Amino acid sequence: MISAVDRRQSGTDARRAGLHPSAVRSEDDRVALDHPLVSIVDDDESVRESLPDLVREFGFAAQTFSSAEEFLSSRCVDESICLIVDIAMPGMSGPELQLELGRRGQSTPIIFITGRNDEAICVRVLKRGAAALLLKPFSDSALLAAIKTALQAA
Amino acid sequence: MAETIDDFTLDASDPAAPLESILRTEELLRRPSRPPDYERENRALVKLVSALADSPRTIFQVLAQTIQEITQCDSAGLSLLTRDGETPHIDGQRFYWPAICGMWGPHVGGGTPRDFGPCGDVLDQNRTLLFTHFERRYPYLMPVSPAAEECLLVPFYVDGQAVGTIWGIMHTDRRKFDAEDDRVMDSLGKFASSAYQAWTRIEDLRIQVSEREKAEAEVRQLASGLEAKIRRLVEANVVGIVMFALEGAIIGANDAFLQMIQYDRDDLASGRLRWTDLTPAEWRCRDERALAELQASRTFQPFEKELSRKDGSTVPVLLGGALFEGTGNEGVAFILDLSEQKRAEKALRRSEAFLAEGQRLGQIGSYSWRVATGEITWSEQLYRIYDLEIGTPVTLELIRTRVHPDDVTLYEKMIEQAPNGGKDFEWQYRLMMPDHSIKYLQAVARATRDRDGQLEYIAAIQDVTARRQSEDARDKARSELTHVARMMSLGTLAAAIAHEINQPLAGIVTNASTCQRMLAATPPKVDSALETARRTIRDANRASEVITRLRALFNRTETATDPVDLNEATREVVALSFSALHRNDVIVRTELADDLPAVTGDRIQLQQVVLNLLRNASEAMTTVDDRPRHLVITTARDDGDRVRLSVKDAGVGFEPQAADRLFESFYTTKNDGMGIGLSVSRSIIESHHGHLWVERNDGPGSTFSFSIPCWREAGKSSSEADLAACMRSGMDTT
Repeated sequence: MISAVDRRQSGTDARRAGLHPSAVRSEDDRVALDHPLVSIVDDDESVRESLPDLVREFGFAAQTFSSAEEFLSSRCVDESICLIVDIAMPGMSGPELQLELGRRGQSTPIIFITGRNDEAICVRVLKRGAAALLLKPFSDSALLAAIKTALQAA
Repeated sequence: MAETIDDFTLDASDPAAPLESILRTEELLRRPSRPPDYERENRALVKLVSALADSPRTIFQVLAQTIQEITQCDSAGLSLLTRDGETPHIDGQRFYWPAICGMWGPHVGGGTPRDFGPCGDVLDQNRTLLFTHFERRYPYLMPVSPAAEECLLVPFYVDGQAVGTIWGIMHTDRRKFDAEDDRVMDSLGKFASSAYQAWTRIEDLRIQVSEREKAEAEVRQLASGLEAKIRRLVEANVVGIVMFALEGAIIGANDAFLQMIQYDRDDLASGRLRWTDLTPAEWRCRDERALAELQASRTFQPFEKELSRKDGSTVPVLLGGALFEGTGNEGVAFILDLSEQKRAEKALRRSEAFLAEGQRLGQIGSYSWRVATGEITWSEQLYRIYDLEIGTPVTLELIRTRVHPDDVTLYEKMIEQAPNGGKDFEWQYRLMMPDHSIKYLQAVARATRDRDGQLEYIAAIQDVTARRQSEDARDKARSELTHVARMMSLGTLAAAIAHEINQPLAGIVTNASTCQRMLAATPPKVDSALETARRTIRDANRASEVITRLRALFNRTETATDPVDLNEATREVVALSFSALHRNDVIVRTELADDLPAVTGDRIQLQQVVLNLLRNASEAMTTVDDRPRHLVITTARDDGDRVRLSVKDAGVGFEPQAADRLFESFYTTKNDGMGIGLSVSRSIIESHHGHLWVERNDGPGSTFSFSIPCWREAGKSSSEADLAACMRSGMDTT
């Protein structure tokens, strides 16, 4: 289920981060024309509630998904400039989503977030090209820095 | 330690050389052997057989001469076990020399002690021995001159009992005994027992007639002429005697022979009995040889063969004989029944082989200890266990030099009590080897009385070092495993807690940051900020709930509930505390019920309780010196599907009014090292739905017991499952 797009957000942070709306490819999404889209995939509801607000404060548009499967079946796969993905989720896990996107030829940068400090998994996803990995709880500045890194790498 | 060395030095200064140093038996086989001289042997044996009939009173003298003649030695004789120094008796304590010929001739009538002399050694080892200069070990033989360069001694038996030895001596090294001497002496040993029986029968006769001269005259009269000689021998029925014709007929035979082959006089009278028919097919060839020998030299070399009995079975015999003078084709043969001897030899060989092999395999040594004389005999395996040269004379002092310093007191106590008690006993102790390695031994001793009523201990000692080491290693591995398992579950738990807490924390931080940004914007987005603040508070409450649930989980008094074999758990604790208890001279006895049901609980916690009770019992006996420090651990089924474990000590006990306080005071004073306090023990038992109590013994000391419920399948619910359930509910909560 895709959350309603919040139009109140400005593109301030995104512009400050040196990003231009023309980078967004989707012509259909009205908001996406002004604000590049960041998709958030996490089974934890409190993350789905709180994180979009913060991302929008940064000047992006935000979409949330409660599972990897839900995200994969949406249009946002092609439209997102960056993904924020939880590692441990029921069904397809974060790292599995990373592999699936790789198979589909998608190179959208991914920022992983996790509540468990499992070193082996962290190393694995970073080696496979994850832009950043944040341990919950993380600060707003850590998230902003991670998004900047991700977009620069892309 | 200084004391031990002194004792040992004293012992070493004793002139008695070790037995091994005067034995040369193994050399017999290595020396070049002279060729057998059958002719000389035959002549001598025929003479000996004749003497059996001729003059039993001089039979020993003839035997001595025969030995000398056949072995060409310097002196020969025989030794008989006697009670009074003269009359033969199998329980005798002294050997008597009834006949000697050659250079030692003048010493006839002398003898040696049963338990410290060459003849005794031969009987003890139950085999032929070759000695050199035995006076080096047995100084009382020094005056018996000339000295014996070598002496070959062979035991002989009557009715399965060793009664004496025959021996040959070389006084110089002009000739050395060899395997051929060994062979003929062995054969002569069989004649010695016949001679002995003949002699004792004559002695019996003498007592009946009670007139020595008359008896001798009768014997002389009887013994005149070959026919009389033969009759005498035939009637004696000491050996089987057969008169035969060369063509195969048996002309006459005595009862001894008929009994051997299980035929009767009627069979003999019918003339059907032919010696050729009595020989099984596989022995015919050997018979032919004897026959040829007989025709050539009128006698034949005694040999061992088998005879067919009436029922078709066979009997092993020794056969020798000669043709009568003048007749040309008739002769006499003597036949000794060897079946008992063969059986005994076989059984002995087998049991010796079994014993030696069993001892080697089981690392078990054995010894006998005659308390009164201090005489100790060790098996070879025991020498190996103690790492001493086989044959070294064993003394209590020598043993003590090997006993671990911490166990010397126990060892001395045992030695001190052994002569009084006369009871069977069991003990465990340690050895400290010269390289300071430690061996753990377990010993079981049986008290017996010998024929003279003297106390003798027969003991088996097992080297349990390897077992102890593997047990130690196992215990170490187990405690490491337990530790790792605890750490693992702790790690898993920590991760689970982290995850549960971090989820709401992430929400809190994100919401708070967002709120801050919204308020800092121009203009401040107050409505949105209020919403994020509300969510912050909600997430914080959620985190708090997780913590409350976790706290509830860990405050639970229920312990792990697995089926626990209390006997096995107890045995492990006893094995673990063995050294500590042993150091405190505590004698532990376990009386564990055979069919004890499993109990419900945490194995490690229950073991901690048992360990604490053992420690407590041991400490209660530290000041006890006037009685043995007995500690008895009992398990038993209790009423109402419960199991009870009791630890009974012989310690100082307690005052009745202190019974309840025991469980309080020890908590603070004794909670050190491995053990835990009685108070903790009681709380562990209570968490197992059981109770722990103490009672005063009827005698000295007290008994601590606990009783806990048996294992029930239905009661299964592990704390892990609880944790999982808790986590699940945590995830669902929003």
